[in-house]
Amino acid sequence: MLPIDAAAHGSRWRRRHPCEKAALGFGLTVCAVSLPPWPGAVLVAAAAVAVLLGPAGVAPRQLWRAWRIPLGFCVTGAIPLLFAVGGPDGFVALAPDGPLHAVRLLLRTSAASLGVLLFAFTTPVSDVLPRLVRAGVPGPVVDVALVMYRIGFLLLDAVHRIRQAQAARLGLTTRAATWRSLAGLAATAFVRAFDRAQRLQIGLAGRGYDGTLRVLVPPATVSARFLAATAGLLAGIVALTFVLERSLL
Amino acid sequence: MHIAEGFLPPVHAAAWGVASAPFVIHGVRALTREVRANPESTLLLGASGAFTFVLSALKIPSVTGSCSHPTGTGLGAILFRPPIMAVLGTITLLFQSLLLAHGGLTTLGANVFSLAIVGPWAGFAVYALLRRSGAPLMVSVFFGAFVADLSTYCVTSVQLALAFPDPGSGIAGALAKFGGIFAVTQIPLAVSEGLLTVLVMRLLLQSSKGELTRLGVLLQGGNKKEAAVR
Repeated sequence: MLPIDAAAHGSRWRRRHPCEKAALGFGLTVCAVSLPPWPGAVLVAAAAVAVLLGPAGVAPRQLWRAWRIPLGFCVTGAIPLLFAVGGPDGFVALAPDGPLHAVRLLLRTSAASLGVLLFAFTTPVSDVLPRLVRAGVPGPVVDVALVMYRIGFLLLDAVHRIRQAQAARLGLTTRAATWRSLAGLAATAFVRAFDRAQRLQIGLAGRGYDGTLRVLVPPATVSARFLAATAGLLAGIVALTFVLERSLL
Repeated sequence: MHIAEGFLPPVHAAAWGVASAPFVIHGVRALTREVRANPESTLLLGASGAFTFVLSALKIPSVTGSCSHPTGTGLGAILFRPPIMAVLGTITLLFQSLLLAHGGLTTLGANVFSLAIVGPWAGFAVYALLRRSGAPLMVSVFFGAFVADLSTYCVTSVQLALAFPDPGSGIAGALAKFGGIFAVTQIPLAVSEGLLTVLVMRLLLQSSKGELTRLGVLLQGGNKKEAAVR
């Protein structure tokens, strides 16, 4: 299981309804993207970190390990904004407002990522998928996503073990050997995926499979109090952003 | 290359979502029809999607000495066809953003457009064109995967250039800037992905001829294509 999903399964908020956590996490992300980066994104990031480390009970180390991935992409993605090409100052020159744009982008993306991480760290994907049918997603698509989710982990585990075996047999020592091993790895993953699917099919056929994968969904009710608190937090962030923006100008 | 969470301005994020929607809806309808006609396809399609997810997690050596991961869109489109890939790619991108913090939900539309729509359609078009013109299977597979990878990055460059025009030279300058940066790493990577896809296909021909026939990559009892390969 992947670290974020493993953390979500053991989360303090695991039993909360996914709609509550979606409203909070995605609400923060929408605020981060829509509000002015300064001070809006900073407030969103502070609120998201406070909720993640406080009530949601996510370990700081786990959060950092997950957050540094999008952060790395954001930093590398912001670098081109520092430069201008083909202007009067030469073919490549420093953009006049480049650092400002880059910092704004970094603030926006890092805050938006924290909103999604809040949802991901508290809600296992297996809790979300079966509920998507009620949201209007066609059943067959949800079933395919469920199978993908379950076989995906098994395949990732198999790929990891095959990679270790290849390394132990000196399969990664030269560039040519690495290519051979990699092709073998991808082909084995394909064969394993289809083998798993065939075995699942035989097993399900024995249990009267009629084309619908029925899974148990943990019962949960939407808490009006949680939603009210979420709305209050988001409204507070929006209001504070505009107040601070005016006072800072 | 996935555009990170919050990277695009809200209007751009929404516009790419709208642009992707018809293709994804078309794919969803194709997938739903297929599953209703053959319920056992659910498991096969799920396995295909899981394979796509795992393929994008593989690290391939780059000419520059660093590592990157294949997009998997070329191989996916050749094996499963572009409409199905639009759905499987969307689910894969959703999983990547939630499970790996890779990509994002606000940028899902943009990422779906480049990785799950343009990449598979462009790659499959080149593959189909070469096959029809009588090119050997492996040559077609190489160029299909190469074009799928490269077109994905070209579209990503366009998406970024539209969102962040250059202060001096506008969108054209930004396109040159982002395209130039990607070209350094992505042309060698596209070649690498093409070669990797050929190697994978060769192994699949040896080990999974039945599945390839079922997926329509090989003709029923069609050793002609395979003979052309060897």
